[in-house]
Amino acid sequence: MITEEELDNLIICKKCHTLHKKVPISHNKKAFCSKCDILLYQNCPNTIDKTLALVITAAISLFVAFKFTIVTIDIQGLEKSLTLYALFMVILEQHQYIVGIMFIFLIVIFPITIIFSMLLLLILMKLKKGAYMVQRLLILLAHIRPWSMVDIFFISLLVAMVKLFDYAYIELGVSFVALVFTLILDIIITKNISFYELWELHTKIYGWHE
Amino acid sequence: MNNSKFEYIRCHICEAVNYVDNKETKCRRCHEKIEHNLKFSYHKTLAFLITAIIFYFPANLYPILISKQFGKTTTNTIMEGIIHLWDSGSYPIALIILLASVFVPLLKFVLIIYLLISTKYNIHSSKLDKHKLFYITEAIGPWSMVDVFVVIILSVLIHFSEVKIYPGKGATAFGLMVFFTMISALSFDPRLINHQKGDTSNAKP
Ligand SMILES: [Zn+2]
Ligand SMILES: [Zn+2]
Repeated sequence: MITEEELDNLIICKKCHTLHKKVPISHNKKAFCSKCDILLYQNCPNTIDKTLALVITAAISLFVAFKFTIVTIDIQGLEKSLTLYALFMVILEQHQYIVGIMFIFLIVIFPITIIFSMLLLLILMKLKKGAYMVQRLLILLAHIRPWSMVDIFFISLLVAMVKLFDYAYIELGVSFVALVFTLILDIIITKNISFYELWELHTKIYGWHE
Repeated sequence: MNNSKFEYIRCHICEAVNYVDNKETKCRRCHEKIEHNLKFSYHKTLAFLITAIIFYFPANLYPILISKQFGKTTTNTIMEGIIHLWDSGSYPIALIILLASVFVPLLKFVLIIYLLISTKYNIHSSKLDKHKLFYITEAIGPWSMVDVFVVIILSVLIHFSEVKIYPGKGATAFGLMVFFTMISALSFDPRLINHQKGDTSNAKP
């Protein structure tokens, strides 16, 4: 039989499922998969503090992105703004419930849940409290992560703007900038800490059993 | 199939390595269930895939976008929208929509069907390649939503008393199609690839 310690020192690549033995690496070094070159794990000091700062900024910028105007168009003096509120109203008015509910979950509810779960679990980890809560949050994150589509929404926004370019005068709002900022932060956060590393930290801080 | 054989399993929730046989167990770190019945995963993937393929037809045949201008109604299916964009000279956008809305769903169908068939009938090709294919399948999935989002954004912006755009039946079908393709891919257990007979290159660390 294989001991727990031996298992702890193994990692399976998420892309090619090759089993690797973990080797100790020095600070700020990264370990990659030998078969497909994807990042397996890294060794950064004080990741929690760094990530927490990034997540707080991302939460604020996501709030701004949803609160204010994303774009305003002007067609011969007639103005219309894209905001979350306008979106809710249009969905209700046109009875687009299936598409509307999907949109609200993929673009609003899941991204907000993700960012606030991250915020909460990082704070708890920093305080070294609430082992069970952190574990539940991490499991929740694992389930909803594939369903957050802010990045795809942003590309769609660009496509929609190109489509309107010939007919309308387009003005970018505060939320558009916030949206770009949120996406950049999201990329930095994912680079900074992987889901695997969050679980490793959980184990390191609270041990195997709660 | 492999009877009571121990193997290394990557927990799909917390990514910890577990060493288990094919009994029902819980992950040693996150205590989430590790499914022992791979047939269940296989059938779930297949069922969701079939549902997605069924939705693919109304998604492409029904209009995704309806516009009303001064009492006159025009409808656009996805292909009509792409042709319209191409004719008006927006080549890059036409290509993005063509890739995201037409090719990505088809590619996902083909990849999942290939994975299901090749793992069931042990078609000889590298397991490594299959794992990579599955990884790609998962990564490209959500990008098909672009066109649906575009229509929703347009329906909010073009919402005047005389000129209006709103999503058609095709948009609903399309959204559901993407939803079921994603669930299908998420139901696929990578262990189906490992359990296929043939080389056992994955056994050694
Ligand atoms: Zn790999
Ligand atoms: Zn686990």
